[in-house]
Order: sequence, then structure tokens, then C-alpha cells
Amino acid sequence: MPWSRFDQTSTATLDALPASANRRVISFKDAMREAIDQAMNNDPRVFAIGLDADDKFGVFGSMLNLSHPERVIGTPVSENAMTGVALGAALNGMRPIYIHLRVDFMLLAMDQIANYIAKWRYMTRGKVKVPIVIRTVIGRGWGCGAQHSQTLGGMFAHFPGLKVVMPSDPYEAKGLFLAAVKDDWPVIFIEHRWLYKNTGAVPEEMYVLPVGKGRVVCPGKQLTLVATSLAVVDSLNAISKHELDVELIDPRWLKPLDEDLILNSVRKTGRLLVIDYDFPACGFAAEVCAMVAEKGSQFLKSPVQRMTFPDCPMPASGVLEKAYYPNADKIAERIRGILNGS
Amino acid sequence: MVGDTANLTRELGLRLLRKLREIRQFEERIIPLYPTDVMVTPVHLHIGQEAVPVGVCDHLRPKDLLFFGHRTHGPALAKGLDMNRLMAELFGRTTGCANSFGGSMHLVDPDNGMLGSSALVGGGIALGVGAALAAKLEKRDQFCVSWFGDGAVDSGAFWESLNFAALKAVPVMFVCEDNGLSNVMEKKDHMFADITEVAGHFMEVWRADGTDVHSVWSAAGQALRHIRESGKPAFLWCRTKRWMKHQGVETDDLECNPVDREKDCPIKKLEKAMKARNLASDKELDEITQGIEAQLNAALEFAKKSPFPTEDLLMTEV
Ligand SMILES: Cc1ncc(C[n+]2csc(CCOP(=O)(O)OP(=O)(O)O)c2C)c(N)n1
Ligand SMILES: [Mg+2]
Repeated sequence: MPWSRFDQTSTATLDALPASANRRVISFKDAMREAIDQAMNNDPRVFAIGLDADDKFGVFGSMLNLSHPERVIGTPVSENAMTGVALGAALNGMRPIYIHLRVDFMLLAMDQIANYIAKWRYMTRGKVKVPIVIRTVIGRGWGCGAQHSQTLGGMFAHFPGLKVVMPSDPYEAKGLFLAAVKDDWPVIFIEHRWLYKNTGAVPEEMYVLPVGKGRVVCPGKQLTLVATSLAVVDSLNAISKHELDVELIDPRWLKPLDEDLILNSVRKTGRLLVIDYDFPACGFAAEVCAMVAEKGSQFLKSPVQRMTFPDCPMPASGVLEKAYYPNADKIAERIRGILNGS
Repeated sequence: MVGDTANLTRELGLRLLRKLREIRQFEERIIPLYPTDVMVTPVHLHIGQEAVPVGVCDHLRPKDLLFFGHRTHGPALAKGLDMNRLMAELFGRTTGCANSFGGSMHLVDPDNGMLGSSALVGGGIALGVGAALAAKLEKRDQFCVSWFGDGAVDSGAFWESLNFAALKAVPVMFVCEDNGLSNVMEKKDHMFADITEVAGHFMEVWRADGTDVHSVWSAAGQALRHIRESGKPAFLWCRTKRWMKHQGVETDDLECNPVDREKDCPIKKLEKAMKARNLASDKELDEITQGIEAQLNAALEFAKKSPFPTEDLLMTEV
């Protein structure tokens, strides 16, 4: 199974759309494509740039047949300076969308991302704005190994000045992407490629979802489960397959974090488990746990818990991959353990 | 090297001289004050190198953009930053150009084409390229300049930026202000290649004497004309001399950096050329100096009287 195709998708159907809305069903990939196309049609200052941005694969299909190919700029393998190019263009009035096929490649651009983009608005006292969206695809499996399977959302959220968002379904992807493009701050937009084939109802017209606001994916009483991106899908599967009475919260934004949404849920359930498909140390799950421990300890019936990747790089062997990655059954088992007090 | 003062006019000479002196006198004002800690920010002085920013920026309009690095005072004053606002920024006051949030290394003045500066060597080169890409996409009449030292040439961002600008015909001007030093490292110890030779593989290169403002001015004018006419990038290399230590206010004492304050002085060179052709009198030159001194007195007064930021500003614009 070639790893550049999206054969390994989850089976969960996500349907977060209000019943009144248009019920057209499309894939996550097509929702992204539509959002990018509409963003570019809507505003001539929006352009896309990145390695492979303009190639025939169209970033896993998410950028094929756009209405403005003249505003799609391919780059050499020069992630650092090209990110600086995007920053320079943003400072000079444009609204760039930077694209990375793998988040691992973004590490070459960390000088620009952490030292420049994140700090520019603060250093200049807001006299200039930095409206950049950096899209990055994340993924795993099929022996991709340690350098092609990272997530790193928590690392980006570490830097003041960056916003970080991880959509979990097609409706969310379109609305959050358009919100990111509209925002006058740099936004890191992380897309799991295992979501690309998932389908859901998506309105044809443009819409934005609020920045820094999460959502209750399904209500429940016994435990608050916080998850983003693919972990939302696995959590939903865990809940339905194992008939668990837990409240699933998708904060959407790692930063700014919707603390109230999480605290209000913990107030009700008294228990917290954060699922974060990322490294554990100093990570997003640790951050959410710390936040609840600091601000909601009076609600807690049991200690806060997290479920993450193990604290080691990704293995390539399928046997070890199985051991490495969380999934719906492992999530359910963990929840049962907490509810049984073990 | 480009440049021949035979066609220097009185008007141009006076304009350039005024700017050279502004930078020199501004920096010289800092020297005795700095050890008293009224300015708590690392400064990288431009004394001796003034010809480069002045010769380049004389061609630029306020809407043209200049991206520079840690050695900010020269380019910023040459591009039109108000002395009061620069002084106040060094004093950490809210009336500074970045309201005290930048310090010496992070100046900003959008009205004069300065959209922020970076203290990290190399990366800022890419910003001018991106700005020029924006100007090209929007078909704007606007020059964008990436400004950097010889040390920045060592960085990957330099090569990535030159390659991209040449590949995509991005109409940016690269200005390498080569003082032959990266901190205390001599150029031959930090860069294997000849900078202009390698840059020449990517684009047209102009070479100027960076201690001679007319040479820089002539070369910059030609390079910008090339950019306008061809839509391609250009590279301007200016060999200059750093008189002061890399950072701070002491005179440089590196053996590899001998400075002749008569022969290497851009101000003396220009004054001599102007007087030789009767383009200005001693009295006029003295008036310029005195005028700038008065401006500096006012700038210091302005900075000292301005308020410090209040703590409630700490978590804003983030
Ligand atoms: C990425 C990075 N590495 C190291 C430094 C420390 N540093 C500050 S200035 C400088 C030398 C720069 O030399 P050059 O680019 O020639 O500029 P100049 O100081 O001569 O104007 C160095 C190494 C830095 N600021 N950024
Ligand atoms: Mg140097």
C-alpha cells in the first residue's frame, strides 16, 4: 500500500453540521481544496507557496485545479528562507499560505517560524501584522519511520505569537482554514492525512469557525476526553464501540486554548483524559492537564491523565508501529481503567 | 568598482553629506552616554560604514522597503527614521519607534519603508525577497532591498534567497555591506568563496567602494535601474571598514582590521571632493554639523523626557 495514498482511513463518520445547513457530503481533502480556492478567489492577496505547492500531485489533491494557478508558487528545497519569503510577502501586504507535505520539513524553517514570524508583531508593537497560514500535513504508518511521522503541534504552541489548529473533519477543516486565512496572526494549520478521505457534510459557501473556540463533539457524564485531529475520530470510535458515557471535547485550537470549555466539562464529569498524538514531554497533553490541575482541581474526582505517543521516535516496523500508536481500543481501555479507579 | 566624483553636483553632495553626518554624529553622541547605562540595549555602531546606507537609500522612496539586520542605526537613519524616535527606542521609552519593545536591533517605521529588523544573522535576507515577490505579484512600483553583512553570506538563508530570487525573477536588490568582519572573525576565516563571484552566478553584480558614498550611490543607481528594466534581482557589494568594535562603543583594535581615519572616512572623502570643486564652503559644512548637533540635543531631550512603558503593556500584541 503506497503511503502517499490515503487508503488507511478511519471508518468514523463525523457530522457536526447543524441540521438546517446544506447537506452536501465531501471529503476532507476536497473541503481543504475548496477552502483554499475560495480564499484565493475571495482575496487577491492570498497566494500559496511551498515545495511541491504547484506539482502534479497538488499536495495530496488538496491543491489540484485551483482557479488561480498564477498565485501558486513552487519553491526549491529551501524551507527556511522560503518561510522568510512568505513573511516578507506578508509584511508587504499579502496573505501567504505556506505548504509543507510533512511537518518534519518545517523543522528546517524553525528559525523563521520561532524567531521571526512568532515574534515580529510583538517586536514591532503591532505596527506590522503577520497574516500567514502555514499548512502542514502529518501522517504515519506504512513504515514511514521516525522522520516522516511526527506531529509537533505542542512544540509550535510553545512559542508565544503563534496560533495552532488541528481540524478533525471536513466541515471543521474548511471553516477553520478560512478562519486561519482571515486572521491577522500567524497560524500553524496541521492536517492529518488519515483524515483526508473521511467525508462529511460541508456547506458550499464560505464560513469561518471561531478562533480559540473548541466544540463538544458528544456529551457525556463520567469523564472529559480531550482530543484533536485524528484522535477525535479514534475517540469517537472508542465511545461508540464500547458504549462509554464520556464527554468528548475537540478544542480545535492548541493555541489559543478554549480553557472554559474544558473546565466546564470537568466541572460536570470530575475526570480528565487528554489524548494527544504527539510526544509526551512538555507537550499539549501536559499543558491541558496542568491547566485543569491549576484551575479545576476542586472538580477532580481522580487525577488528570494523558495518553500520548511513547517518549521515543517512531519505529518503522509494522509490529512496533502497532505498539507505538494509540487507537480506539487502547483509548477505551484507558477510559475503563480510569472509571474503574485503576 | 563603480564611481567617479567628476559628475557630483552640489545638490547631491550636500544631501549625501548631511545624511553621512547625521549617522556619524548620532553614533558619536551615543559613545560617551552608553557606559552610563541610560541606554540598556546592545548597539552595533555604523561609524566608518555610513557611505553604504546613505548611497543606497538616497535612491529609495518612503514606499520602497529596506530589510536590515542587527546593525540598524545607519540604514534606519538613512531610510528616514526620525532621530527622536530612534533615540527614544534606545532609551527604552514608549515614544521609540517600536514603543520600547524592539531596542536597538529591532527598529520599525512602516511610513518610511521599514517593516521590522532582525537580530539573527542571515534569515532577514529572505524577507526582502518575499517583499519583492509581493511587489511583483501585485505589479507595484516599489523597490525592496535585502541588507546584510559579509557574515550573513555564510548562512543557508543567503544561498536559498539568491537561488529563489534568480529562479523566479524576483526583483529584489541584495546589498552586501562587507566590512570584512563577522564579529571578530576575519572574512578569510569565515567565507571560502569570493562573494561577488558566487553572487555573479545568480545575477548581475555591482561592486562599490563602501567608504566612498559617491561610488555606492552610482552603483546602487545602476543596480536599481537594472532591476526596474529587467524585472530581475541585482546584487550590490560594498567593501567598507568597521571602525568600532562589533558591539558597543569602543574603537576596534583587531590586527586584521587596520583603519586609516583620514583615507577611510566617507565624510572626509566627500567633503574633500566637494571643496576641490567649490561645491561647498567650510562655513556651509560647519552649518550642517551644527544643525545636526542641535537636532541631537533635541532628540536626547525628547528621549529623556519620554515615559517608560507600564507593566500592563507586557502581554499585549501577542
Ligand atoms: C544566526 C545567528 N548566529 C550568530 C549570531 C551572532 N552574531 C551577531 S552579529 C554577527 C556577525 C555578523 O557579521 P556580518 O553579517 O558581517 O555583519 P556586521 O556585524 O559585520 O555588520 C554574529 C555572528 C546571530 N546574531 N545570529
Ligand atoms: Mg561584517
